[in-house]
Amino acid sequence: MSALPPPVLAHLQHTVLARLHPTVFSYAADGRFLGCSGEPAAFGLDADPSGSADLLRDLFIGMDEEAACELPFIVLPGGRSTHLHRLRDGEGFHILLLDAGDEHARQQAQQQIANEETLAGQEKSKAIGLLKRIRSDLESERSELEEANALKSALISTLSHEFRTPLTSVFGYLHLLERVIGRDPNAVQALRAIQRNATYLFTLAENLLEYGRGDSGTALLHPDEIDLLALARDVEAMIRPLADDKRLELVFDIRVREEDRPVYDELRVRQILVNLLSNAARYTVAGRIGVGLAFADGQLAIEVADTGPGIPPEYRERIFEPFNRGGPGGRKGAGLGLSIVRRLVQQMGGQITLDSAPGQGSRFRVELPQQVRTGGADLVADAPDRTELWTRARSAIVVDDDPDVAHLLESLLLDLGFKVEVHPNAADGEAAAARERPDLLLVDVHLSGSSGNALVFRLRAQGYRGAIVTVSANASREAQDAALKAGASAFLTKPIELSRFILTIQRALQRGG
Amino acid sequence: MIRATARKICMLGDFGVGKTSLVARYVHGTFSEKYLTTVGVKVDTCQVARPDGTDCKLVVWDMAGRNGVDALAASYLRGASGLLMVADGTRAATLRTALDLLMQARAVVPDAAAVLMLNKLDLIEHWEIEPLTVAELRNSLPVFETSALSGDGVVRAFAALTAKLPA
Ligand SMILES: Nc1nc2c(ncn2[C@@H]2O[C@H](COP(=O)(O)OP(=O)(O)OP(=O)(O)O)[C@@H](O)[C@H]2O)c(=O)[nH]1
Ligand SMILES: [Mg+2]
Repeated sequence: MSALPPPVLAHLQHTVLARLHPTVFSYAADGRFLGCSGEPAAFGLDADPSGSADLLRDLFIGMDEEAACELPFIVLPGGRSTHLHRLRDGEGFHILLLDAGDEHARQQAQQQIANEETLAGQEKSKAIGLLKRIRSDLESERSELEEANALKSALISTLSHEFRTPLTSVFGYLHLLERVIGRDPNAVQALRAIQRNATYLFTLAENLLEYGRGDSGTALLHPDEIDLLALARDVEAMIRPLADDKRLELVFDIRVREEDRPVYDELRVRQILVNLLSNAARYTVAGRIGVGLAFADGQLAIEVADTGPGIPPEYRERIFEPFNRGGPGGRKGAGLGLSIVRRLVQQMGGQITLDSAPGQGSRFRVELPQQVRTGGADLVADAPDRTELWTRARSAIVVDDDPDVAHLLESLLLDLGFKVEVHPNAADGEAAAARERPDLLLVDVHLSGSSGNALVFRLRAQGYRGAIVTVSANASREAQDAALKAGASAFLTKPIELSRFILTIQRALQRGG
Repeated sequence: MIRATARKICMLGDFGVGKTSLVARYVHGTFSEKYLTTVGVKVDTCQVARPDGTDCKLVVWDMAGRNGVDALAASYLRGASGLLMVADGTRAATLRTALDLLMQARAVVPDAAAVLMLNKLDLIEHWEIEPLTVAELRNSLPVFETSALSGDGVVRAFAALTAKLPA
């Protein structure tokens, strides 16, 4: 290649050199700095270049000393980006510095955008993950709510169960009394009043029981062959006194063929009848209650018609809601009856319809398809016994910088038979725990200068397997999650309450250790 | 012959894990929230005391974040006697990167001592790395949980590497 024309060369020399600020540091064979030429100041290097000379030389530590050597994009302590070249010169060598500032700035800008985009993308997917978790948390909260609901239902069932036994004997003795009481009108009236109220209590208890079963009640159906006539007689005996009291006509119309053996859950059918009838008896002031029971073609039709006040259209739906009090004419009652009738009907795959108008009375009609007989026993899951945990003396370390809390924790643990050591600061506490590996470690989250979570993480990362209980004044779910994620076995919130404290420690010891 | 009084150590890890911040904390005692990605290498020097009582000069190479050792990175690594591997505790993937990088770097500088820094300990609430994972890692190399922000564990990690540097 022929040489470039002199003016071009001169121009190049001028522009390129002006941009690159070539600067040279020269060294002897033993690495001794000999001198510097060029513009060290352009690289942010000291006015006395010997200070920087060692550093520049040391940057080539371990590099092949015979070959020429290049290190691009080295940002020197002065902050300037440089291309470094080491060039041999006889026994010694030069280090040539070329300014890379502009190129660096360009690359930096590009790389910055790319990195930040990647980081933002990662944050985004993390946030999405978090949202997903929140959603599943919400779902599990909902199932906890459902559990609480189930608990409430269980409570109601237990209570109403408790009602049943005494009521049964009340009815028994009422029968007995009815036979022996004679004709004393006062006594008869009193007996009727007791009967009425006992019946009312009985329906109430049955309804509560049903309500407590919740929607899972389907599983509790026990269909079997039933005797509709006997059932009707029973119900009539129950309702008759109520009707007689108000001088209401009570008429039963039962149509079932001798050879038919309808299969239903008798208790449920009875409950439907009792609820419909006691409602009718309660709200009808004068007139008649007609009851129809007909079984044909695998279908049981129940009809209860009264000459009561009737139900305006706007209340048609509401009367089937539990505890609804919005009925016309200041209706009162447990407000459960019709809601339970509807639920039972639905559980049995049937239908309920209401035909009514104000002043025209009401006609409830229920249709129930024949059920299928079932068998099988209820399963009762027994919770396993919890084993006692305080069988041997255990060691504990408390790390808390609040002396009052530390003292409280210490005395609680001493009471429980622990050998206790207290450390007010994170570093000492961590060292002690790492050294002594206690059975139990109680750590406050907010230690001055450090996070209890970091301490817990570090101990777990060192292989500590004992129980760790993190104590925090922050009761949020996030705080708890963070503590557990760092490796705590359990999380305890302040103020510390004794029974929960003991329970938490028991759990933690069960889990860790 | 060049007198080898100084030791070269390299900070190696994925981008944004805090390599530059750790050096700033260790060498200058400063910290900045702002992220300014490193291009090429940023060099710095400092003096450290060795366990035997002698002083040793460290030349710290703070390399641009990356996820593999390419030819350029290999040329930067040459001559290093220590490797400070850095991962970001809040991003589990950066730990895998750090371990990958360590393996690749060992091909270039087989005798270099190495320690692992799990950085951003101050953000422990957002960590994605399990303590048990760290306990396992400890079987193969020294691991330090650090925070360039608070300074937690930083001196300890640098001291541990210095102590391990081959004579
Ligand atoms: N909270 C917290 N932030 C940190 C810590 N260390 C670094 N950061 C932040 O993380 C970001 C990246 O830090 P750098 O030190 O630039 O990361 P780097 O590894 O040098 O990144 P590259 O040069 O791109 O490879 C910055 O915004 C820092 O402020 C830390 O210990 N805690
Ligand atoms: Mg950096």
